[in-house]
Amino acid sequence: MMRETRIRRLPMALSALVALALAILPLPAALQAFRPDFLVLVVLYWSIESPRAGGITLAFFSGLALDVIHGVVLGQHALALTLMAGWATHLRLRLRVFSVLSQCLTIFALLTGYQFVLFWVDGATGNPVTTFGRWLAPVIGALLWPLLVGTLSRLHER
Amino acid sequence: MVAFRNTDTSGRTTGLLLRCVLYSLLALGLIIVDKRYDHLGKIRRLLSIVAYPVQIAVASPFQGWDWFRESVTTRDALRVDKATLESELRLAQFRLQRYEAIEAESQRLRALRGSTAAITDRFVIGNLMDIDLDAFRERVLVDKGAHDGVFVGQAVLDSGGVFGQVARVGQLTAEVILISDATHAIPVQINRNGLRTIAVGTGDMSRLKLPYLPTSADVVAGDLLVTSGLGGGFPAGYPVGTVAEVKRDPAQSLADVEVKPAAALDRSRELMFVWLKPQPTASDVPANTPAPAAPPAPSTHAAPKAIKSPTAGAPSR
Repeated sequence: MMRETRIRRLPMALSALVALALAILPLPAALQAFRPDFLVLVVLYWSIESPRAGGITLAFFSGLALDVIHGVVLGQHALALTLMAGWATHLRLRLRVFSVLSQCLTIFALLTGYQFVLFWVDGATGNPVTTFGRWLAPVIGALLWPLLVGTLSRLHER
Repeated sequence: MVAFRNTDTSGRTTGLLLRCVLYSLLALGLIIVDKRYDHLGKIRRLLSIVAYPVQIAVASPFQGWDWFRESVTTRDALRVDKATLESELRLAQFRLQRYEAIEAESQRLRALRGSTAAITDRFVIGNLMDIDLDAFRERVLVDKGAHDGVFVGQAVLDSGGVFGQVARVGQLTAEVILISDATHAIPVQINRNGLRTIAVGTGDMSRLKLPYLPTSADVVAGDLLVTSGLGGGFPAGYPVGTVAEVKRDPAQSLADVEVKPAAALDRSRELMFVWLKPQPTASDVPANTPAPAAPPAPSTHAAPKAIKSPTAGAPSR
């Protein structure tokens, strides 16, 4: 058991790091609003795949990294990611037997919840972002989900 | 394709949910502490050092590509570049010829009036890092930080005019909020008639607004806006933008004025951090002013003092 969890942590950390890099990769201004929340998708994958290997811890610290890198109030992304990782952990047994479409829809709900927490904290700390562009990322993220699961599970099986 | 390999199918998640609640509370606590108090500055600065390698790793391929493109330019292209730069420099020098005399004169006149304006003391050039911070906020990351003496609220210029101000400082990086950010406002005045107002960002890099001018205000398209220096954050007299459009609706009490920023907010790569010379305090101004003010002759000894500011900035370029 011990050994197994240790083996799992490396791809976890690696994929989170790559997702973090993708989150700040410069894109043309026109495409910026379409950037999916890669790190959230990766964290959700790991909280569904192996919750006991520390998916929620990963969520908290990934969120903290996002806060520092985006320069927003400390704890904002950490809170949103932790809550959504907890929800995904709760749903994980059901998620596994879902069809691709239902999985995508569930992920869409989780990503929207994530954006909602960010939106709420933004508003509560006094610098609201009111553009509709923010609600586009969950759609793109949900569409990317099957692709991401395919890639990560292959990486995982190595 | 969408298959999970894991066979961990036990439904016991109480421990995990407890952990989730704990982390959420911790995150909430962080938000409150970060928002209400200023204790987390140091922690954030330390964390920004940890984030630095990731930022460098993302930015370096783009910088490498720029470097590569630069190093394979042809001789002809370089020659054309050199010619245009030389003509630009000549033009700038022509414009500068009278600058020092005028600066000295303005100093004397200000001394006569007993008023002092903040003078720029020195510049440090920072380079933009190729990193997207947030798609919905107008912010950029620059490779100068607390290590180089950058501080929060510091004015940042580019070659065209005012670019923004420092919003957050890390050890090696600083976050600059653009004047076009929807939460940013900058005190300006119209260069033609000295009318003071505030230019507010719109969230669109090509546009600012002047929302507090009455319909009767003397403002026309083409007016140059410069910083007024009020508030002390920005040095006075730097271009902020030109008025692009003035809409006057007689039914409204305020005019709808759009401004095109002078700085190339979406293109500039090199930014200047500005340090202001500490202002003489109000108490020692009246004591000093009568002496140089009485005869107009001391222009010779007043001039070198005033010239110091532009020349001090030159070597650091």
